Amino acid sequence: MSDAPILRTAGLRARVTEEEMEILKGVDLAIRPGEIHAIMGPNGSGKSTLAKVLAGHPGYEVTGGSAFFDGQDLLELETDERARAGVFMAFQYPVAIPGVSIANFLRTALQARLEDGEELDLFDFQDILLERMELLEMSPSFAERAVNDGFSGGEKKRNEILQMAVLEPSLAIMDETDSGLDIDALKVVARGVNTLQEERPAMAVLLITHYQRLLNYIEPDFVHVIVDGRIVLSGGPEVALSLEEGGYHEHRKLQSTVSAA
Amino acid sequence: MSRTSTLQAPAAGPLEGVTATINAAAVERLAAGEPDWLAQRRWRAWEAYERTPLPTTRLEEWRYTDLSRTLDLDALRPAAPGPRGLSPDAWPAELRQAMREDWDAAGHIVEIDGRVVHTDLLPELAAQGVVLASLTDAVHTHEDLLREHLAVEAIPPDQGKFSALNAALWTDGAVLFVPRNVTLPLPVRITRWVSDPAAAYFTRTLVVGEGGSTLSVVEECLSPSFGEQTFCLSATEVLADDNSATHYASLQRMGLGVFHMALYRSLVGRDARTDSLHVTLGASTARLDLNSELGAPGAHSHILGLYFGNEDQHFDHCTSQNHAAPHATSDLLYKGALDDASGSVFRGIIRVAPGAQRTDAYQTNRNLLLSEEASAHALPNLEIEADDVRCSHGATVGQLEEEALFYLQSRGLSRRRAERLVVRGFLQDVLRRRPPGGVTEKVTRAIEEKLRG
Repeated sequence: MSDAPILRTAGLRARVTEEEMEILKGVDLAIRPGEIHAIMGPNGSGKSTLAKVLAGHPGYEVTGGSAFFDGQDLLELETDERARAGVFMAFQYPVAIPGVSIANFLRTALQARLEDGEELDLFDFQDILLERMELLEMSPSFAERAVNDGFSGGEKKRNEILQMAVLEPSLAIMDETDSGLDIDALKVVARGVNTLQEERPAMAVLLITHYQRLLNYIEPDFVHVIVDGRIVLSGGPEVALSLEEGGYHEHRKLQSTVSAA
Repeated sequence: MSRTSTLQAPAAGPLEGVTATINAAAVERLAAGEPDWLAQRRWRAWEAYERTPLPTTRLEEWRYTDLSRTLDLDALRPAAPGPRGLSPDAWPAELRQAMREDWDAAGHIVEIDGRVVHTDLLPELAAQGVVLASLTDAVHTHEDLLREHLAVEAIPPDQGKFSALNAALWTDGAVLFVPRNVTLPLPVRITRWVSDPAAAYFTRTLVVGEGGSTLSVVEECLSPSFGEQTFCLSATEVLADDNSATHYASLQRMGLGVFHMALYRSLVGRDARTDSLHVTLGASTARLDLNSELGAPGAHSHILGLYFGNEDQHFDHCTSQNHAAPHATSDLLYKGALDDASGSVFRGIIRVAPGAQRTDAYQTNRNLLLSEEASAHALPNLEIEADDVRCSHGATVGQLEEEALFYLQSRGLSRRRAERLVVRGFLQDVLRRRPPGGVTEKVTRAIEEKLRG
């Protein structure tokens, strides 16, 4: 894991578009291929904003710093270009697209990755989809349902994992994928991420979470604590455990010490 | 039969909508050689036409479609009738294309320029008593059938200016009769092609399903675009007897320059079920008057509508679900997307008569605006005179959701592709309810063409 980082941010600052207040106040992060990083933080700390900024959400604007992905200036790329370059974000609240089946959606997404004039082979696609669903132990009928339309929380997250499996990103950002999930659904999601990473060990994962619970099932290589838009503590899995005991309160205090300095 | 034998002197002063093309002489020509009852029917309709003023925007039903600006009856020429017995090789390419897509049918009627040029029906169905014929033939071969049902029950002339006009001046059309307990294994397809610019076309369709029958009909109309306004007025009557099941779909794909007006009315009998899908994609101005009459207990009417406008198309849909009997149900879902400077109107009403207890009736209209200039008026209404009913109505006008577009873009779709996928899904939602064979594919293709355009 000594390769160059697949993602490197330096002093990344961002705010909600057209609002004064910055939410990210300088985030430095380097993720190498195959690494699993967890970013933890209290509500409002900016952890979810970081995920959205990296994915290119139009509701946020970058006010400073840089982000490079696989050698490219990520901030210069449109949302869809980032996706085609290999960034994937599993949404905290996946959006329903009534009338569009998961299969149709994924076919369109794969087609979008081809050059103009190239056509996705439909039989190949069916094979890929079925194979991916089998890997994730999903029933083939799932792909015929309209994207997230009337899905339970667990089904929505499974759908995110399926998309990730088909699109094969080099960086998967899981934006609070665990929030609101019961333990069984959580295990399904974790198993999915682990399975995919075993299969493609170079895939890097950025887990954004409020809770330590997820990390019992997906073991991170690095844990970062973000408070008030800055990473205030980075370390190994033990950081998450210390949070479990002390809560974010301790790190808030740490943050105020840092600010005062 | 001439008009003098049947009527009193016409009202004094200029008559609205009586023109060099639309006049008593035209009725006279059509009625010549027809049986007396039919000629009389035309003349009575003509009288109703003459005495009925053209609807104005002062009427609720016409508030958003100003006929004085959008329809120039004076400029219309009589349609040069299509040749009879034209062989399929000689049909226009667009018509042949539409037909190729659905040769799989129980029977066909093909109408070119207001005249039926082709009729076929599976022989085994004819042997069971199924009738599929042009109206002009049926006048001779199935006179009793027309005499009993044509323009008297579902769409009689006294329903308005345009029902009168059609009943007076129809040139041809289709009749489908399915006898008691007979099931059509495949849909009957009625395809209309119009090619004469600045002409006025009046055609009809009569569908009669006897008790216990099961049938399905697909009506499609097509034309090129015209530089001069061309007027098409069609009337479709569906009579669904007790315990029958009727599937109906209409697909309007006329070119620009057409003012298309369609009257559709179904009379639904005891324990009968009608499912209909009304797709509006073409014409510069399209008006649909759609009524379903639930006249007996257990009647069920399921109505789907779909429209997709662009450029400066204007679509006006006026629907009613009339519950006259208890224990009947109706459900209407109308969805439309509007791009460019196109506009739509949906005016729907559920009427529940005093004795119609235990009515279940629903009505939903959803609109998706794809541009700043597009507009949609949604006006759902309830008129309930019974006290033990379940009725609801709802309407929405919305824009593409940014969050949905971001979701799709985050999977690699360009914004344009993402928008198209959302629109497709929004409209496909209606087609999931399984309209008659081949319609879903056809409508999907037509939507794709518009999305690419």
